[in-house]
Amino acid sequence: MRKHPISFTINGDLQELFVEPRKTLLAVIRDTIGLTGTKEGCSTGDCGACTVIVDGEPVTSCMLLAVSANGKEVTTIEGISSPDQLHPVQQAFLETGGYQCGFCTPGFIMAAKALLDDNLDIPEDEMRHALGGNICRCTGYTKIVEAVLSAAETMRANA
Amino acid sequence: MSEHAVVGKRLPRVDALEKVTGAAKYGADINFPGMLHARIFRSTEVHAKIVGIDTSEAEKLPGVHAIITQDDIPTGRAVFAKDKVLYYGEALGAVAATDPDIAEEAADLVKVEYEPLTVVQDVMESIKPDSPNLLNDKTKDGPRRRVITRQLKKLSKVTDEDNSAEIDRLNTELEGLDDEIYYNVAGETHESAGDAEKGFAESDIVVEGTYTIPRVHQVYMEPHVSVAHAEPSGKLTVWASTQGHFAIRSGIAGVLGIPLSDINVVGVTMGGGFGGRFNIQATHVPAVILSQKTGRPVKAQLTREEEFLDGRPGAGCIIKLKTGAMNDGTLVARKALAFWDCGSVAGGPIANTIRIRGVYKFPHLQMDAYAVHTNKSGTTSYRAPGAPQAIFAGESQLDEIADIIGMDPVDLRMKNMREEGDQVPAGAIEPIVGYKETLQAAADAVDWWNRKKEPNQGWGVAVGDWTNGCGPGAVYVSVHEDGSIRLFHGSMDITGTDTAMAQIAAEVLTVPYDQVSITRGDTNSAPYNTGSGGSVVTFTMGNTAKLAAEDARQRLLELASQRLNTDIANVELKDGKVSLTNGDAPKSLSLGELAAYSLSTTGGPIVGKGSLSGKLSAPAVAVQIAKVEVNPETGTTKVLKTVASQDVGFAINPIAVEGQIEGGVVQGYAWSMMEEMQYDEKGNVNPGFVDYRVPTSADIPRIESVIVEVPAPNGPYGAKGVGEPSLTPTLATFANAVTDATGVRINDLPIKPEKIVNALKSNGNGSR
Repeated sequence: MRKHPISFTINGDLQELFVEPRKTLLAVIRDTIGLTGTKEGCSTGDCGACTVIVDGEPVTSCMLLAVSANGKEVTTIEGISSPDQLHPVQQAFLETGGYQCGFCTPGFIMAAKALLDDNLDIPEDEMRHALGGNICRCTGYTKIVEAVLSAAETMRANA
Repeated sequence: MSEHAVVGKRLPRVDALEKVTGAAKYGADINFPGMLHARIFRSTEVHAKIVGIDTSEAEKLPGVHAIITQDDIPTGRAVFAKDKVLYYGEALGAVAATDPDIAEEAADLVKVEYEPLTVVQDVMESIKPDSPNLLNDKTKDGPRRRVITRQLKKLSKVTDEDNSAEIDRLNTELEGLDDEIYYNVAGETHESAGDAEKGFAESDIVVEGTYTIPRVHQVYMEPHVSVAHAEPSGKLTVWASTQGHFAIRSGIAGVLGIPLSDINVVGVTMGGGFGGRFNIQATHVPAVILSQKTGRPVKAQLTREEEFLDGRPGAGCIIKLKTGAMNDGTLVARKALAFWDCGSVAGGPIANTIRIRGVYKFPHLQMDAYAVHTNKSGTTSYRAPGAPQAIFAGESQLDEIADIIGMDPVDLRMKNMREEGDQVPAGAIEPIVGYKETLQAAADAVDWWNRKKEPNQGWGVAVGDWTNGCGPGAVYVSVHEDGSIRLFHGSMDITGTDTAMAQIAAEVLTVPYDQVSITRGDTNSAPYNTGSGGSVVTFTMGNTAKLAAEDARQRLLELASQRLNTDIANVELKDGKVSLTNGDAPKSLSLGELAAYSLSTTGGPIVGKGSLSGKLSAPAVAVQIAKVEVNPETGTTKVLKTVASQDVGFAINPIAVEGQIEGGVVQGYAWSMMEEMQYDEKGNVNPGFVDYRVPTSADIPRIESVIVEVPAPNGPYGAKGVGEPSLTPTLATFANAVTDATGVRINDLPIKPEKIVNALKSNGNGSR
């Protein structure tokens, strides 16, 4: 299958690649670039495990063809913390126990980060609906919601 | 618990950082240069003879390296369908190619010719004589037929008196029982205590009902995956996402007919299991055989659709239940006849139908359960297998009784609960249990006896129980020269069990939690371990970690007594150092100093060992109370409040324990209100998250956990199994709440809005 040249930035690094048109952004992130923090849970855009941030918006990367990411700015779970500083959302998930098996966690954290980047004052019920595109099977969401509320508080204090 | 420094504390998990940064490596994150990708090709028929499989077109596709079918399985054990398919999506073989998309294309090019057969999807149809015989099973007798046949056999042996009249009577009854011959039965279990029929005759009221609980998928978030590499020497390495890598090793060895020592299974971080992650056929065996054929590493990974079509979900069932009680609420007798839909593979948690007895003193109990084949995939464990289903029936019927005799549902349960020393119906004598304490705790948390509700609102309560097992397990504890502690073991961590082990070792060795680290070994290096299922891990591995740490502590004390030239009775381990207890001058040695000293002793480095199996646990109980509001026009149910109390014995890490409770409640909520694998003559019709909807954060508000601690005498610090009890009462809790809100009872789960609307229509009213 003929490959297409694309270029985009991922976590600040420029990537210039030749990709088959059938490859998803998720496949390219995981298999070509080798960043495996972004997970594949359903391949149909329903579970949110593959959520990354593209030009500031949360996107299920299994539903975006890689060629469509040409020229865009992509952020994955690997791109939001430094070795000595977790992102407030990550720190809050860690402290409240907002993860168990951890498979949905990177996608959840990216969705929550995008949500809070947009609105730090979001009320719990709206936040629960806004995160409705991310499935977690282990936690029952109680501690995830606590984590996002706690992260919002930290981020408000730091803002 | 103030007497403890580390256990009982809300500490972050040992794997917290790797989980929140995306660094944790799951099955699909394992990659090797030159690795091939597998794709399974599957049946497009529901029930059919296989006339032929033609792989020639697929083989021609550039990038395809190998194609396998059942003919490639050395022992002939069933991995792929060969002569006939029994469900849509059944695996027929697998392709390995250089790219996952090429493998998928190749799988689509495989041509299969079928000769269709009659399909049966309903267990009640499958047991009938005119149903297609799926797996050549012999017929089984129904409960009454079994009893009569046995009586006849007994009577035929009596020669000294004339029993011909009784024999004739029984034979006549037998002839009238033609509907009690069951077809397509894969297995059966029967239990009884007392005489159920006598109990019903003595009861003031008898309630009967039929309860239907659907087949549901575990929906672990990571689909099945494995990477296999067959080396030229014949040695195999498998990177497996599994609940038990030792079980996977023996499974693969069995299918391949090779020694255990030829296989090393590396258990990688697992994306959830809930009982569904012990399967060797789904990806492990195909990856191994494709790697043997090609000499290259092979990754086999299921899609979510394949998970639904060919996973091994939790079994659905139909339970016919009858309960007798006195007007004062005393429970007298209960009888169940259950048919479990085990699909195309013998199995199903039929023995756990006994959970209909709940935590109550039934003098008379009878349980007859059958596993029945249908044209669906096989089933396997799903979190407390069988218990949520049986308890749904039992706890629904208790509320019916409470309603009829005008007794409060909590009072009715409290009156009949067993205590230590009571006879468990068809079981042993009850050990120390926390049933009443846990019910009281849930009731207190909502101020039950003063509960209030608006129109269309309702409260539901239910009680579920489960007892964890204790499999074989072992832990080594090393003390290093800088005083740090390392645990080494072979147990798969799903739920924070590594964290519990680390906390226990820190507690015993009196060091800070962050001074302890923990490593899981592969099957080549770690001591044998049971799989992480059945709520066994914290109980088993916590005990083992405690033994190992205590063994290390003993050695530390011996080393210190040598070094300080005193009797071992004169030293104690406290605050991370061993000190003289009788000396005038304060003398002490740190763990690091002792570890360094050990290296020059004839005894060598400090290694504590703990190894055990089969230790008895005490039963755990979970009580849940929910308040819901039902819209009578649309039938939609809104959860207003959920309180979940659970006797966990002792919460080694309360964050992890709450997480288990909260997760179990939401899975149970979904089973009662939302989830159902649906089938028609074309097979499973909802193999994806759009049509099989699982709950999101928008579906249910926060779960309020109430931890009750009635210690298990044998548990580590009193801990009991936590993971499974949390789901056992939930189906009934929400069903009972909906009934309290609407006045109608839906015994056919899930309680979808249309069922409520229809029931209200036929009942002719709305709320009560």
